[in-house]
Amino acid sequence: MDIFTLGFWAVALLLTAISLAKNKQKTFSAMKKSKGMMGSMLSQIVAIIFLIGLVLTFVPPETIRAYLGSSNTAIATLTAAGAGSITLIPAFVAFPLVGSLVHAGADIVPAAAFLTTLTMVGIVTFPLEKKEFGIKFSLYRNGLSFIFALLIALLMGVIL
Amino acid sequence: MKILNLMKKNMLAAVIGLVYMLLFLAAPEKALLSLNNSAYYLKEMLVILPVIFLFTAVIEALVPKELILRSFGEHSGIKGNMLALLLGSISAGPIYAAFPIGKMLLQKGASVANVVVILSSWAVIKIPMLANEVKFLGAEFMGVRWVLTVFAIFAMAQITDRLVKKDDLPLESQDPDIQLTIRESYCIGCGLCVRMLPDFYKMDGNRAVVIDRPLDENTRVAVRITAEKCPSKAIMLHLKEEKIS
Repeated sequence: MDIFTLGFWAVALLLTAISLAKNKQKTFSAMKKSKGMMGSMLSQIVAIIFLIGLVLTFVPPETIRAYLGSSNTAIATLTAAGAGSITLIPAFVAFPLVGSLVHAGADIVPAAAFLTTLTMVGIVTFPLEKKEFGIKFSLYRNGLSFIFALLIALLMGVIL
Repeated sequence: MKILNLMKKNMLAAVIGLVYMLLFLAAPEKALLSLNNSAYYLKEMLVILPVIFLFTAVIEALVPKELILRSFGEHSGIKGNMLALLLGSISAGPIYAAFPIGKMLLQKGASVANVVVILSSWAVIKIPMLANEVKFLGAEFMGVRWVLTVFAIFAMAQITDRLVKKDDLPLESQDPDIQLTIRESYCIGCGLCVRMLPDFYKMDGNRAVVIDRPLDENTRVAVRITAEKCPSKAIMLHLKEEKIS
């Protein structure tokens, strides 16, 4: 567990203690409500996690690397943004991967597009988002994130 | 019948389970690899979900609705955006961990724009991640990407706020038995309901909004009259046993 997750735990436990001390009954009824909300999410989260495992098996980081390094920048950027939308690679794998490519001389536009869609656009987590916020919200948020990720990448190509 | 319902509710889980079963038959080594890949994310989930559970419960129990409305509501302005950005940035865990928190804040009166800011910054801006980015791609790359991302997040929040109204979101009411709402897109802002029952309605800009307070047997009748008088039929009164609009 990294220090930020630990800090998150500490704050959550502290606030829970305060809440319990202030109003035990209210806290317990709030917990019951949370339990209902999280309970309905849990089966989907677990399903999504196993889906990520499948995606990583069939679209391994090495494949993405091949696409990211493609000589045609426009195609490389679009495929990079697409690959970033589908996969969910942990940051400690994604940054060294992209870093090694950029050092090897790859263009930074596809690299930035990949890193931004990786975290902001979630096709795999879409069913979960749809359930919590509705289809309209989820479509707009993911669609806009994709467009803005491309914009960020293009601007980075201009600036750097 | 019960099994069918259970399957329907857990459609995704059922499909994924089936894919794994087929994969185990066709290519067992690929199936094992997939399970191994999932293990990391499973661990991440187990570490973060209990915290999210505690946070949603604490927000529900401790934080008054007025505070959320003031800090993250429609009229919180740029200050609300900044606060949302900060909240999303100091968080931990993957984006799906932000969904319950975002939903809880929406239910307590946060604006769509600020929830977009929280979800997006939760996903993209993480201090350990930024440190990693500096290490492998350099401070300049990280800095430029960070500034552009912050601008993009605010722009997306504004656009989503224009396009998605609260009526589009599947929110549960605080009290499932009796529910009084005003359909935002229907209200013409005539102020009739506010004049009739100032205890239950107030003007918010050029629209009327419901003041959250319990409805009992006596007030229910008065509220129903306002619903009937409303010229654009924007007031919705849902009761458990009957539905009146």
